[in-house]
Amino acid sequence: MSELILKADNIVKYFYEPEKFQVLKGISFEVKKGEFLALVGKSGCGKSTLMYVLSTMDTDYEGSLTIKDTLLTNQSQNQLAAFRNEHIGFVFQFHYLLPEFSALENVMIPALKLKRYSKAEVEEKAYKHLELLGLKDQALKNANKLSGGQQQRVAIARALINDPSIIMGDEPTGNLDTANTQIVFDIFRELAKERNQTIIAVTHDDDFAKNCDRIIEMKDGQMV
Amino acid sequence: MFSSINNRISQIHLTSNVKQTIVAMLGVTFGISMYIFMTGFMTGVNDAQTELAFSALAHVRIYNDGPSDNTNIAKQIYPNSLINVRSAKVIRYTDGIKNSSAIIAALKSEKQVTNFATQVNVNVFFKNAGNKINGIVSGVDVTNESKVFKISEDMVEGSWDELKFHSDGIIVGIELAKNLGLKINDNVNILTSDGLTKNYKVIGIFRTYLSSIDKSKAYITIGAARQLLSVNQDYVTDIQINVANYDKTAELVDHISRLIPYKVESWQTSNQQLVAVNLLRYIIAVAVSLTILLVAGFGIYNIMNMTINQKIREIAILKAMGFSGGDVTQIFLTEAIIIGVIGGIIGMLLGFGISRGVNRIPFNVSGMETLPMSYSPQNYILAFMFGLITTFVAGYLPAHKASKIDPVSILRG
Repeated sequence: MSELILKADNIVKYFYEPEKFQVLKGISFEVKKGEFLALVGKSGCGKSTLMYVLSTMDTDYEGSLTIKDTLLTNQSQNQLAAFRNEHIGFVFQFHYLLPEFSALENVMIPALKLKRYSKAEVEEKAYKHLELLGLKDQALKNANKLSGGQQQRVAIARALINDPSIIMGDEPTGNLDTANTQIVFDIFRELAKERNQTIIAVTHDDDFAKNCDRIIEMKDGQMV
Repeated sequence: MFSSINNRISQIHLTSNVKQTIVAMLGVTFGISMYIFMTGFMTGVNDAQTELAFSALAHVRIYNDGPSDNTNIAKQIYPNSLINVRSAKVIRYTDGIKNSSAIIAALKSEKQVTNFATQVNVNVFFKNAGNKINGIVSGVDVTNESKVFKISEDMVEGSWDELKFHSDGIIVGIELAKNLGLKINDNVNILTSDGLTKNYKVIGIFRTYLSSIDKSKAYITIGAARQLLSVNQDYVTDIQINVANYDKTAELVDHISRLIPYKVESWQTSNQQLVAVNLLRYIIAVAVSLTILLVAGFGIYNIMNMTINQKIREIAILKAMGFSGGDVTQIFLTEAIIIGVIGGIIGMLLGFGISRGVNRIPFNVSGMETLPMSYSPQNYILAFMFGLITTFVAGYLPAHKASKIDPVSILRG
């Protein structure tokens, strides 16, 4: 439980539109493997911004970011894309599934990109993940024919397909009702506990945050 | 780079909005079919005109151009002095080509020469019962003349080959026959500039559709023409030569003109307007078709841009999941190229269909029956290539734009 997976060191970020504004004021913290972490704080405190920096998608920051002993600061976009593909899974507030693809194909896409397994193996794995999330019978339906809760669960299955070390969520339950929120939370809990996967989620939901291993609260670009 | 998941995404994009895909393809199809039709038609017109021109024109002609103006030799030596020569005259020492057999022997060793015909052309008056018309009577080598000018195909009455067996026979142009009131087996009287007259019997009538020729020309055998002029068996006035490729006469002209003292002239030199018109027509055809292709290109560009704006979130999520900018470019470029290839193939078929249709429209002018059309494969290949290049450029610009999308700004909303 003590192995270090993510290390952020003195992260500073500015917004330039409409005027120069310091969003993140030197944030440093470490995350251990298998930790279930919640980032909370008021709107505009910079928690989402921090998450996008941690996700490697936002590269316009000062400071350094290390995930799995790999220094990611100043790597090229293409190197970061390949790293994300293999090591990070995402769940967003909106599901962002590809609407014209079936649920199964949506789940398979990141794995087909990674090409660690053959297509048949990927398909089998995708079925397993959908089964885990209770969606096996919906696998061949088009993504835009599913309900909101089902879509979000497909998005989670997609985030899990490459067995990433870290799963990041930007308000993963923000758009879900209580019942579905509970389902998603239970899944995350189980992943952290049984598969030793790290979870970092930005949330507004106090109940959700309360049950996490650790809460990082932010205020005006600083950790509290 | 060419992972199949990218192709799968391209395929889904193309098939999920079939209407849009078809509209984009139709743009390419229309552009390419118009290109094929326009260039085919223009090339057809050019070919028809060239064929018409070559019924009276050989590719290269050898003749005696007359002496150069040497009436003031002193002026050439002392250009700045004032020299006056009274009653200066250009004197023509030779007439026609005297040593034709030597030139013919030289021509036979040239590889490009396919056919050649010797002629003895005489300016004469044709007379029949008080009608008097001036024109040219051409003494010809019957077999070779037909090989060079295909005159046997232009016969309206009688047969060209009959001329071989009638040293007193004459074949006249249709307008000339009409103006003189001549029919087959009538006699026509010929008066030369030296005052000699001789009667010939009409054994055939031709029509070339070139009215200046139909009005003033007649053919007799070369022997009869030599007899008329009282010249020897080696005398000719013109040697008409056809080569394998009529666009390439310069080399032959250059080579022969060094060997013989007579004027050697290609059809391009004597008919520069024909060359110019052919070229201009081709330029117009290419300009019009390329404009159409360009418009089609803009159509594809617009549709691709629209698609990318619609799918901007999808692109952002693909990037978040680890697709690189190159992957995104590849996905959309593949779509554009598939549109280009399928649209292009249909365009070639449609262009061929339109060409066949237009080729059947009746057009009874100057010996043609229908509108002319060329089906040269070169035009089809060029059209397809232009179409592909257009779609590639029109697809690459939006695809490149898509690859630059910043996922953070899209996903944060």
